[in-house]
Amino acid sequence: MSLAIETKTFRVPRWLKRHETLLAIILLIALFGLGLMNDRFLTLDNLLNQGRLMTEIGLIALPMTFVIITGGIDLSVGAIVGLCAVMLGYSWKTFHFPLPLAIVFSLFVGALAGFINGLVITRIKVPPLIMTIATLALYRGLAEGISQAHSVRGYPEWFYFLGQGDVFGVPTQLLVLLVLIVIFGIVLDRTTFGRALYAIGANETAARFSALSVDRVKLVVYTLSGLASGLAAWVLVSRVTTTRMDMGSGYELDVIAAVVLGGTSIFGGSGTIWGTVIGLAMIQLLKNGLALTGVKGDATIMVIGVALILSVLIASSLRRRD
Amino acid sequence: MKTSLLTTTAAAMFALSFAAGAANAASKWDGADDLPTSPLACDAGGAAAPAVAKPYDGGQPTNAPDKAGKEITIVDVPKLIGIGYFNATTKGMQDAAKELGNVKVSTDGPTEAKIDEQIKFIDNYITRGVDGILFAANDPVAIAPVLKKALSKGIHVVGYDANSQPDAREWFVNQAEFNGIGKSMVDSMAKEIGDGSFAIVTSTFTTPNQARWIAEMQAYAEKCHPKMTWLETVEAQEDNNLSFNQATTLINKYGDKLKGLFGMTSVATPASAEAVTKAGQCGKIAVVGLATPNAMKPYVNAGCVKSVVLWNPVDLGYAATYVMRAVVDGKLKPGATSVEAGKLGKLNVVNGSEILLGAPFIFNKDNVDKFDF
Repeated sequence: MSLAIETKTFRVPRWLKRHETLLAIILLIALFGLGLMNDRFLTLDNLLNQGRLMTEIGLIALPMTFVIITGGIDLSVGAIVGLCAVMLGYSWKTFHFPLPLAIVFSLFVGALAGFINGLVITRIKVPPLIMTIATLALYRGLAEGISQAHSVRGYPEWFYFLGQGDVFGVPTQLLVLLVLIVIFGIVLDRTTFGRALYAIGANETAARFSALSVDRVKLVVYTLSGLASGLAAWVLVSRVTTTRMDMGSGYELDVIAAVVLGGTSIFGGSGTIWGTVIGLAMIQLLKNGLALTGVKGDATIMVIGVALILSVLIASSLRRRD
Repeated sequence: MKTSLLTTTAAAMFALSFAAGAANAASKWDGADDLPTSPLACDAGGAAAPAVAKPYDGGQPTNAPDKAGKEITIVDVPKLIGIGYFNATTKGMQDAAKELGNVKVSTDGPTEAKIDEQIKFIDNYITRGVDGILFAANDPVAIAPVLKKALSKGIHVVGYDANSQPDAREWFVNQAEFNGIGKSMVDSMAKEIGDGSFAIVTSTFTTPNQARWIAEMQAYAEKCHPKMTWLETVEAQEDNNLSFNQATTLINKYGDKLKGLFGMTSVATPASAEAVTKAGQCGKIAVVGLATPNAMKPYVNAGCVKSVVLWNPVDLGYAATYVMRAVVDGKLKPGATSVEAGKLGKLNVVNGSEILLGAPFIFNKDNVDKFDF
């Protein structure tokens, strides 16, 4: 598009101007800076532990990237985490399901909750924002109603392996997240399903006329979002050893922040899994690094907010000079 | 189509919460935790807890460095920061640190009472390295793994206000036992209305502390004031406006029959007092409840409320800091029966590994102006 200018001015290589690359550079600088300020930050122990703490948000952020690429949004994920946690605990404790069955059942409930979102969004054409705000309240209400605000505790020791155990020194759930990152990355980048997501997000009408089964793709995406929330609930319950109905409240914002920071356009049509992963790591490590450097909780939130705005500004201003 | 769906959803939710509420109202008060009630003796001096010999059941740190008499850095992670109650405990901790001279204590925690956030705060402080952690748990079980991790890294752990599982911390400073609160509330009410009828405004039927207190109040009232009549208990979340409306409804519904109102939360009590004031029933309907002094000063000074039941959170933070110092200095070991806590004197060990702050504190017209939280 700018062949004439190209010969005259120095041009930054295209890969360097990608949002994800810029973010990765900012992340590395932040890591280095925080590492200089605190000798306990850049230790393997701390970084692995941070990986453990960010897994639940990460698991949900993967399908959320898909959802947002299609131009949708899913605000009910935090509530689904709460509902699944309660279903896991109650089907085991109150209905006396064997624990493995209870886990499968709660994953099924998560997928079903996402499926219902998708069904209403595609069939009745309710905007995703409205539908998932409604189900945010509905699923959280169900979690509260079923549990009567009681907690479930006393899981057997093996159940804690996922949330608290290690495999070759790496937190179990982090390995699960890494595998899923690779799978989601490949699906988005290398399959027709992934291409369809971009097509729907860029221009849904055009996608329909190109004979893409838009509704079916969306249904799959929202179901995945619910299923991943169920998986996150399982990890969370295993990590904190207890089931509470208020689990996962506010997760939707953390998840969406990671996805959007990672360069996925909130209007749909563009975005990558790698960007989401960097966005996720950036928020978590910034929070942790600041806390270790002695910044208190309330100030940390402010610094993060400012850092988010700055990184998005830098990225977009560099892109505009393109 | 869109509206009808939303309406249906909303209706379904209301129906659900209503059904949940109705189901609860019908059942007997079980404290929402399936534990038995244990009403105290009826006589006035019954505040002293019975000495039940229970072995020490707390946890111990592994290879904690010996810092007896040396300066220590401790961190306090309350349920949340920025509210009057935990500002008061923080003040008590700073007071104690100043007196002791060899303790540095800082308070840091989530801005919302979320267990997940609280765990992350504690985890970060373990990595950062401190000598001791004070906590008020958002969930007794969920907080346990991270506290055990702290113990395993040689960090001393002491709880206050809201306990964890006993083996995840060394000691817990207990501000008031549930049955002590139950007794103080019912006795204060009985002093004002004799054998009259009363109603309760609470948060929800299942909120752990409130449900437990009501269960203890019921057990104590049945035992010691059997002629008092319990009209109704209503839910008002922790919502100021809703609490006011619920209290007003109770006043209108029962008319002259209603002699007393209990407020179970720091929101419900002032709202009930406001409702009584607005209805012009001051002096005719007694209000007794749990609340912080600042919120109650206008009503107490106007004579509309005679007694506000609470422990003193400044003392609670103060005691927690002294306990931590005593643990580090080796003065408070498993099996001890009491601990010295500065100006509070000697505090007793109860329930194996808990330190009792004392009988609940009653704020009235004579002392309410001395407190600021």
